[in-house]
Amino acid sequence: MTAIALPWAPTRSRAVVTERPADERDLVLAAQRGEREAFSELVRRHQRRAYAVARSIVTNHEDAEDTVQEAFLHAYKAIQRFLPDQAFGAWLHRIVANAALDATRRRKVRDADELPETVASPFRDPAEGGELRLRLKEALDTLPERQRSVIVLHDVEGYKHAEIGKMLDIPEGTARSDLHYARSHLRQILGALRSGL
Amino acid sequence: MNDHEMKGPALVRDDDELTSHLRVIVAPPVDEAYWNGLEQRIMARLETRLARGREENRWWALSARAYQFGLMAAGLTLIVAASIFLRERALERRMAYETVIESPSGQPQQVWARRGLVPPDRQATLRAVTDH
Repeated sequence: MTAIALPWAPTRSRAVVTERPADERDLVLAAQRGEREAFSELVRRHQRRAYAVARSIVTNHEDAEDTVQEAFLHAYKAIQRFLPDQAFGAWLHRIVANAALDATRRRKVRDADELPETVASPFRDPAEGGELRLRLKEALDTLPERQRSVIVLHDVEGYKHAEIGKMLDIPEGTARSDLHYARSHLRQILGALRSGL
Repeated sequence: MNDHEMKGPALVRDDDELTSHLRVIVAPPVDEAYWNGLEQRIMARLETRLARGREENRWWALSARAYQFGLMAAGLTLIVAASIFLRERALERRMAYETVIESPSGQPQQVWARRGLVPPDRQATLRAVTDH
């Protein structure tokens, strides 16, 4: 007697358990086939998180938006090399982090060469409200790039040290110590501001 | 021991306050229209870049074709020039040969002299002298 193979059975049970990742895998496969609509859906799903990662590294909204755009363009170009069974989000966030670090370096060079930009932004930065918050934002901007990224990714976005380490290509321990230094620095600023205001 | 238990209540309060400020500082836009717009901008940039890529590919294909055509033309020109040159040379040789053949004196004598032989008229004289 031969056993009857039921190829659909495991697929169906997997689909029930993890419907969204399987769905995302299909989207990735479709995007790899060149279906523009599938990639558009991936953009729709991941752009907020991508923005959050970018915003943790760059210091303003405009650069964060540019970074997100660049990162998605890069992701589209590199999607053939992506393995569909892996987490698309983690892969994308790494691309976003790299693009954001590039943008920060470019910004430093530009700022060294040019006068500060005075073009009005269509999006009003929420940090603009409140003296304390404004000062805190300035303090955040003066933090070393990696410390700033780590504190935002950890405290605001809720990433774990290991995830941050992977994203920024640093050891987990470095992420921990960066978080410690960033927090203590900002805490000091916060204390000084509280007593001064 | 979790993060909160390791720190004192003051630090926890400070960190919580810090986090709430940071949330506001790096908060993403909340307007849904913004995200729709961003998605459209990303896809538009993607289309533009793909179109530019296609254009560049077309240009490269065109220049590659032009290069091949140019190479073929150059080769053909070289062949034609070489054949004209060889023909001209052959013609010149033939003319020189004919000139030499048709000339009454000069070359034959020179040929005899070059070969170290006695010319036929002198051979007859020589024969007459030696016979007698």
